[in-house]
Amino acid sequence: MTTPVRVVAPGASSFGTALRDALAEVDAPGCVVYVCGDEDAATVGPLDALTPDEWDRRAERVLRDALAALRDAHRELSPRGGRIVLVAPTAGIPGAPELVPFVTAVEGARAMAKSAARQWGAAGIAVNTVLVPLELLVPSAAGATSFLSPPAIGAPTLAHVAAAVVAFVDPSRHGVTGATLVVDGGSVMAP
Amino acid sequence: MSAVDLSGRTVLVTGGGAGVGRGIALACGAAGAHVVVASRRENGVEVVDEIVTRRGAASWSQCDVTDRESVAATVAHAVARTGALHAVVHNATSNQSSVPHRLEDVSGELWEQHSSVSLRGAYHCAVAALAALRVSGGTLLVMTSPAGIEGSATLPLYATMKGALRGFAKSLAREWAPHGVTVNVVSPLAYSPAMENAVAEDPAMEERLARRVPLGRVGDPEIDVGRGVALLVSADAAFVTGQTLGIDGGHFMSL
Repeated sequence: MTTPVRVVAPGASSFGTALRDALAEVDAPGCVVYVCGDEDAATVGPLDALTPDEWDRRAERVLRDALAALRDAHRELSPRGGRIVLVAPTAGIPGAPELVPFVTAVEGARAMAKSAARQWGAAGIAVNTVLVPLELLVPSAAGATSFLSPPAIGAPTLAHVAAAVVAFVDPSRHGVTGATLVVDGGSVMAP
Repeated sequence: MSAVDLSGRTVLVTGGGAGVGRGIALACGAAGAHVVVASRRENGVEVVDEIVTRRGAASWSQCDVTDRESVAATVAHAVARTGALHAVVHNATSNQSSVPHRLEDVSGELWEQHSSVSLRGAYHCAVAALAALRVSGGTLLVMTSPAGIEGSATLPLYATMKGALRGFAKSLAREWAPHGVTVNVVSPLAYSPAMENAVAEDPAMEERLARRVPLGRVGDPEIDVGRGVALLVSADAAFVTGQTLGIDGGHFMSL
């Protein structure tokens, strides 16, 4: 019997639903994938036009949700260990204009994942991150990263992202934690 | 004596009443700026007195960065007092920053203590200061830490906030570049009240830490970090934006 990867995503994330479908056949007990961000969080607009409530929804709520997801995963995995994968947009590396609150949350979530990797490693829980192009995760926000170099080998597909996640949930990769894998076809190429 | 010239410039420093913030305020004052020392507690008055005693110019504005109106009032104070605002240094951080914790045990209260000062405070500073910074072609600085880049085994919330601030600054640097306003990040290693307390409890800690710093010592808040910040808020750094500058004796080189 297959125990699929558990994919946790905000309710409005069509990417999360698609990733869940793409991973449905993968037998990976003890693995949780968290997708950071959705259409609402990645609403494009200047920072100074935000209301405090919009700031909270697009920055702080996204981070609180990431914390809640990591804590739930820790509770689920801690008896036997396991693997957690954060999926987030590459926009956090170069930054993105008019997407300040969301990118704030994304980079916070990445640092949170690395901290979780450090704290939970001794319990056998590995935490890694897969970064994907913003337009794949939130198509409506694609214009915010239009300044990026074109991908050297072409834009990645959902299947490429799923393959990267599968690599991280593979128990034979026991020595990998706190890592970030950029799956963007060779656009950012950083760090 | 500072080699950086901040004459005629107004620099606002949040969390300016103690530690690294105090050092930044003193260094900017020594470089000729009018320093608006923004602090929740009245220790900011003592920093103003120190700057004035050294023949610098400074004023205190009581400021709670978690309160949007309080930050707006401090920015208004800076502009009313000096006619302009050239730089905001958001240095304030939660007084829980250096208290070790487990990620799985984080309470809503602890989260709020970190987030309200670091993230919402940065948002409040940015929104309140934009109009004045556009006029002056000024700059916004936020403070980070290696923990924000590589995570932390003991301070995961602190790491989260410091990582988030780098995303905030890089994005805002792109967004505000058309306005002629720069945004940068500083990652300091210097004595703070929290570090001094920790060293007092564990004197060997200072030597352990110094061994990990290529330059062999922990930085001084004014001479090392403050002067570096003074350079970044000067006109000489007008073409620098979206960058993270480590002022840490080479402690972190993995950027």
